[in-house]
Amino acid sequence: MGLLALGTALEWPEAKKKAHKVREWGIEQLLANWRRAKGKERDALLWGDEVEYLVVALDDEAKKARLSLAQADILKSLARDEALWKSGSGSNDSNGEHDDEDPPHFHPEFGRFMLEATPGSPWGIGFKDLLKVESNMKWRREVAKAHMAPNESPITLTTFPRLGTKDDYIQPYYPPSGPALRSQFVPDEIANPHIRFPTLAANIRSRRGRKVELNVPVFKDKNTPSPFKDPTVNYDLHLWPEDDDVRNGAAKDDHVYMDAMAFGMGSCCLQITFQAKNMTEGRKLYDQLSPLGPILLALTAATPIYKGFLVDTDVRWNQIGGAVDDRTPEELGEAPLKNDRWRIPKSRYASNSTYLSQDPRLRKEYFDPDLVVDQDIKKRLMDGGMDDLLATHFAHLFIRDPLVIFSEDLEELDLNKGDHFENLQSTNWQHMRFKPPPSDKDDIGWRVEFRSMEIQITDFENAAFSIFIVLITRAILSFDLNFYIPIQRTTENMETAHARNAVLDEKFYFRKDPFSQRVPKGSAQQSPDGSTFSSANSSAVNSPPSSPSLNPVDNEYELMTISDIINGCSDGTFPGLIPLVESYLNSVNVDVETRCFLASYLDLIRKRADGTLWTGARWIREFVAKHPSYKHDSVVSEEICYDLVKAVEEVTEKEGRNGALGWELLRGKKN
Amino acid sequence: MKLILSTGNIMQDGRPSVVRHPLMQKSNVELISSLRANFIASQHVESNGSEPHANGNGNGNGNGFSNSTSNGSHHKDHRSWTGEQPDGSLYIPAIDFSQPGLSEERPQYDITVKLFYLPGIPASRRCAHTREAIDLVLKELNVDSIDLLIVSFPGLLFDADDDSDEEEAGVTGEPDDFDSMVQTWRVLESLHEQGMIAQLGVAEFGSERLARFLPHTKVKPSVDQINLKDCCVVPKSLILYAKTEQIQLLTHNDCNDILPVGTTRELLGPSDKGAGILASSPEAGDGIQGDVEPQWVVKYTAVVKDRGVVENKGYFALADIGNCVKSRQ
Repeated sequence: MGLLALGTALEWPEAKKKAHKVREWGIEQLLANWRRAKGKERDALLWGDEVEYLVVALDDEAKKARLSLAQADILKSLARDEALWKSGSGSNDSNGEHDDEDPPHFHPEFGRFMLEATPGSPWGIGFKDLLKVESNMKWRREVAKAHMAPNESPITLTTFPRLGTKDDYIQPYYPPSGPALRSQFVPDEIANPHIRFPTLAANIRSRRGRKVELNVPVFKDKNTPSPFKDPTVNYDLHLWPEDDDVRNGAAKDDHVYMDAMAFGMGSCCLQITFQAKNMTEGRKLYDQLSPLGPILLALTAATPIYKGFLVDTDVRWNQIGGAVDDRTPEELGEAPLKNDRWRIPKSRYASNSTYLSQDPRLRKEYFDPDLVVDQDIKKRLMDGGMDDLLATHFAHLFIRDPLVIFSEDLEELDLNKGDHFENLQSTNWQHMRFKPPPSDKDDIGWRVEFRSMEIQITDFENAAFSIFIVLITRAILSFDLNFYIPIQRTTENMETAHARNAVLDEKFYFRKDPFSQRVPKGSAQQSPDGSTFSSANSSAVNSPPSSPSLNPVDNEYELMTISDIINGCSDGTFPGLIPLVESYLNSVNVDVETRCFLASYLDLIRKRADGTLWTGARWIREFVAKHPSYKHDSVVSEEICYDLVKAVEEVTEKEGRNGALGWELLRGKKN
Repeated sequence: MKLILSTGNIMQDGRPSVVRHPLMQKSNVELISSLRANFIASQHVESNGSEPHANGNGNGNGNGFSNSTSNGSHHKDHRSWTGEQPDGSLYIPAIDFSQPGLSEERPQYDITVKLFYLPGIPASRRCAHTREAIDLVLKELNVDSIDLLIVSFPGLLFDADDDSDEEEAGVTGEPDDFDSMVQTWRVLESLHEQGMIAQLGVAEFGSERLARFLPHTKVKPSVDQINLKDCCVVPKSLILYAKTEQIQLLTHNDCNDILPVGTTRELLGPSDKGAGILASSPEAGDGIQGDVEPQWVVKYTAVVKDRGVVENKGYFALADIGNCVKSRQ
């Protein structure tokens, strides 16, 4: 979660005054870094996955599952071991299985009940590396568990089912309504105490002028009251001015209402970052992976419960968007523009709105016509030599205010650092992120992060989805695939992905023909970096070819089921992402063992897409529905929550083998 | 007369054949359809008035070429888009070997070549065939060595269910006899010694055949490539043996009979689906007369090592044509 430097964090009224300076300096740092790194070439494919955990504490006597706020202790203990490890004297690896792997890294997250783990060193494309991913993930879980109290464990649910309820769902217990979050459901202590996090939450609230507001449609079961009025909302609190929010109608009928950043940023995700060979390839991957974001979100759906209620959505995405939405009423279009500069259609956490690649296949019709761009910043970037597309991208990200500013950092502009740039870059949480090399590290290249996936209950699934995305990138580059659709369709797809059981019931816009049109042999201009078209052709983007041979854009894509997109259309129009990956695998040397592993991963994804296997969301819904104490009133009680967490632990361990819990998720049959 | 059929780089050419029919049984679909696509594209470029391989201005209207499939018997004279060599061999289509084969330096790549010796072709020709095939690949990619050459002997079928031995199928030709495999291996070993090939490999060898074969080799195969429908079912004996002998077991999905005579005739013939190279009847003057006999097929792939990107992949196939060629029917 960005940088964790220490210092004096400014409260919003002060921070607001410095926002412009931070942006200005951030842009200068970006330009300096871009000039330094734009020519970086031939970086290897390195990639990393990030797995996020909830730390739960089980109270078997009371039959309660609580979130543990022991993050700091756990991290301290992990860090101690990592130091020992590096000095060569400690080992957590009892059987030597991971002797040739660096010990995993653990990081704090926004939620004090969360933990993030990454591999000790990045993965490559060597097929042997792909085989290590799953076991490394399992190892990370073991290491983390070993540093927790005996009744605590890391689980990979996206959200804790009873976060924000009236009971003591955290350990140790703190009452709600602190000065930073001002939430009537969660205490300030729910957030990582590092000054960055409470400041972030407080400044979002302060900038916005009220608390964040999340209303998730409740899942209407046969005994759910109609209209459903969230019974946990307290209309009689008078501690903070923001307590008026609910009296002003913040909580909507038929919705579960939540009012704090923790409800969103307390979600666990599965994120994959790739290093590209150069900036050109990074920009291409950013563009081509973007349309896959909503598809993978629907495929990994695992979030059917909020604040003790079954909801009618399957994924976390928009709830995080709402939880960090710092837009003012003017920016939201609720009040006439007076003090603010523009209306902004999306939260800082949302699907992305730009395409970046200097690719002749990128047509002007694909761009977002409502894109908000800071023209002064764009001009500064272009005057500094940056091309239109990239300048537009960053000038779009920089329409936001920096949220956390440390006064110490404003003394002098250091062009060898990237802190001001990162301040804005890392608080634009779009589903794709284009990452310039760090200013202070020469050995890291241009990177792209794929951010939409939900964390899965088992490491088998997490490895499967991570590796699938890696293989897709290789297929994109090898076959020069084209997934471009108008970016607004991706925004719409992102909404579609929220529907309950979207993976099977909904259709998504997707490009019909992913193959580039054949360019007669010999006429393709090979540029030195190996891309087929030289960047001189990039002007095509601004003055797109008016060639009559181009189809109308709307004919290029259509609504498809996820199964069509993943497995291919039965009528043979769209080949399917898995057949594309298999075709790629058939073109490279893969050893028998690796291919067997990869086949099991691809099989999981294939069967998720065609409905043979359930998503996590569906499995959780069925678990609740079948629970003997469930009253079909959408309420996920403490007892159900406890049993669900226990069940999740069992699924993580046994992976549905031999009819064990979770077979519907992983095996598709009981035996 | 020799006909040298080529696909060009099938990775980045927008050639739908690459994956359009991934579930089709016969996995020579890739070869056949990419050959066909390359023929059509080459005829199309020519009929647009530009030189087939000149650095034209990239009109890029890939839509048009598919229309030319309906030209049927109105094939234009093949001499406009094929390349006849002084030695009498004919490149279909013509190839401009001056094009750079790879965009980066040679050490960045893993170049794998798989050579398919075809059924019914005397093993005595393999020495010449091997050199011919390798030379073409080296010229196409503009390199002077390859990293791995896998040879596929005709008639060998790997059967994962049968742990005892691989079967020797006689459907499309006589099973290759052991001595001729060893003879062929000598040729490969000499190319290895010359530094042209870094590693050698075989395909569809079971553990027993490997055990019989290894004592006859100076340069051991470092790879055994097997075709598995379900790659999780590999005979234990083979896994163990390969491990002891440090032979890597790789997977593939190539077809056993990759280029049958009938298919070749159809590809080159005067019909709607053909390229119009062959004469429509023994009397007609609209093409080359005689019987066609495919001799070998070679597949090459150049993968950027540390990025796993397949940059160049393609096939060459060589067929003899003429009245001196003996039909096998």
